[in-house]
Amino acid sequence: MSEHIVRSYDRDLEALGRKIAEMGGVAEKMLTEAMDALSALDVDGARRVVTTDARLDALHREVEEGAIGTILRRQPMAVDLRECVAAIRIAGDLERVGDLAKNIAKRTLKIAGAGRMPRAIVGLKSMHECAAQQLKDVLDAYATRDPAAARAVWLRDAELDALEDSVFRDLLTFMMEDPRNITFCTHLLFCSKNIERIGDHSTNIAETVIYLVTGEAPLAERPKGESATA
Amino acid sequence: MSLVMHENPAAHAHGRRVKIDVRNVDFYYGDNRALKSITLPLFANSVTAFIGPSGCGKSTLLRVLNRMYDLYPGQRATGEALLDGRNILDPAVDVNFLRSRVGMVFQKPTPFPMSIYENIAFGIRLYEKLPRSELDARVEEALRGAALWEEVKDKLDASGQSLSGGQQQRLCIARTVAIRPEVILFDEPCSALDPISTAKVEELIEELQEDFTIAIVTHNMQQAARVSDTTAFMYLGELVEFGETQRMFAAPENKRTQDYITGRFG
Repeated sequence: MSEHIVRSYDRDLEALGRKIAEMGGVAEKMLTEAMDALSALDVDGARRVVTTDARLDALHREVEEGAIGTILRRQPMAVDLRECVAAIRIAGDLERVGDLAKNIAKRTLKIAGAGRMPRAIVGLKSMHECAAQQLKDVLDAYATRDPAAARAVWLRDAELDALEDSVFRDLLTFMMEDPRNITFCTHLLFCSKNIERIGDHSTNIAETVIYLVTGEAPLAERPKGESATA
Repeated sequence: MSLVMHENPAAHAHGRRVKIDVRNVDFYYGDNRALKSITLPLFANSVTAFIGPSGCGKSTLLRVLNRMYDLYPGQRATGEALLDGRNILDPAVDVNFLRSRVGMVFQKPTPFPMSIYENIAFGIRLYEKLPRSELDARVEEALRGAALWEEVKDKLDASGQSLSGGQQQRLCIARTVAIRPEVILFDEPCSALDPISTAKVEELIEELQEDFTIAIVTHNMQQAARVSDTTAFMYLGELVEFGETQRMFAAPENKRTQDYITGRFG
C-alpha cells in the first residue's frame, strides 16, 4: 500500500498494527502458560497468567483510544476506515482470549490441591494445540493481510469443535466412574469450553481480516463440528 | 458492485428510475478534451455526488447537464444526455426551457443585487405570469423549501446581499427551487460556508431529494458520503468508478479511487 500524503497518518495506522501484534503475542503467551500451569497444576504459573491479563487490558484500551483518535483526526475512508474498525474488533477478540486464558488459570488455582490430573488432560492438550495454532495462523494472516490464510483458519474451526466434543465425553466417563472426580472434571469441562471459545475468537479475527482486506464479510455459515456441549 | 461501465446503465439501476442518462459524453474546451466518453445514470429523487481532484472534469460534467457551456464559443459537447429520454445536448432543445428544468447552485453564493423577495420572484416571472398573490405564495413556498423563510419573512424587502454567506446560499437554492425544476445541480455549494451553514444546506439537500433529482460536486469526501446515494469518482476527464456511496467509501473497487479517497494520491 502506497503512503499517505500526510505521513503522520501512516504512523497512526502502523502504531495500531503494532499494538495488535503485541496484544496477539501476549494473548498467545497467556494461553500457553495457562495450559502449562493447568497440566502441571502449577500455582505460581497460574498466578503469573492472572497478573499478565492486566497488560492485555491496557493494550486493548490503547488500541481503542488509538483507533478512535485516528477516526477523529483523519476521518478515514475505504481501507483506512476498515483498518480502524478491524483494530477495534480484533483488540476486543484478543482481550477476550486473555480473559478465557485467565479463567483457565483461576480454575487451576482452585483444583491445584485436589489430586491427580485425569487422563482427559490429553484431550485438552490437543484442543490447546489446535487453538494455539489457529490463533497463531490468524495473527499471521492479519500481519500479512492474507485473506486466504484467514479463510483457512475460518474453515478449520470445526476441528476444535470436534475435539471439544471428544473431551466432553471423556470427562463425562471419568465423572461416572468415580463421583469424587466431579468437581475436578467440571472445572476441566469449563476449561475445554474456554479453549473452544478461544477458537471462536480466532474465527472472528479471521472474518475481520477478510473484511479488512477485501471489504467483504464471509457470508456463508461457518462449518461447525458436531457438538454435544453447545 | 459498480452500477455502470455497462451498455445500458438503466438495466443495472436496481429498479430505480433514471432521470438523466449520460451516454458517451465528450467535452472540449477548444482542442482540449476535458471529458472522455462519460456514461452514467442520474437516478430520479436521488443524490449523486461527483468527486475527484481539481481539473478532473466533474464541474465540466455539471455544466454540460444544463448546457452552461453554450455561453462560451469554442466549447462543445458530444454524445447524449437524455433527460427523461430527450437529448439535452441536441441544439434543437431550447436552453431556457432546459434551465427551467435543470437548475444550478454555484460555489459562491450569487444573490442578485435586489431584494430577497425579488431574488426569488425574478426567476419565476421569466417563466410564468402570476398574479401578485400567487407570486407571494410561490416566493414563500421557495423560501420555506430552502429552510430560509423563518429567518427572512420579516425583511423580504432587504437586499439579498445583506444576508450572511450561508443565508445567501440558501437564498440561491430558494431561487432555484422557485421555478420548480426537476433536477438541481450543486457545484461545491458549501465550500465557502461555515460548518453550521453547511449542515443546514446538507439537511436541505436531504429534504430536496424527495422532489428533485440532485447532482453535487464536492471536494469534501465526508460530505459526499453524508449526502449522496451514489458517487462518481472522476480523474483526468474519465469516470473511474461509479457506485453506491457507502460501498464506494468503505470498499472501493478501483485502486485510483481508493488512493484518492484515502489521501494517497501523490
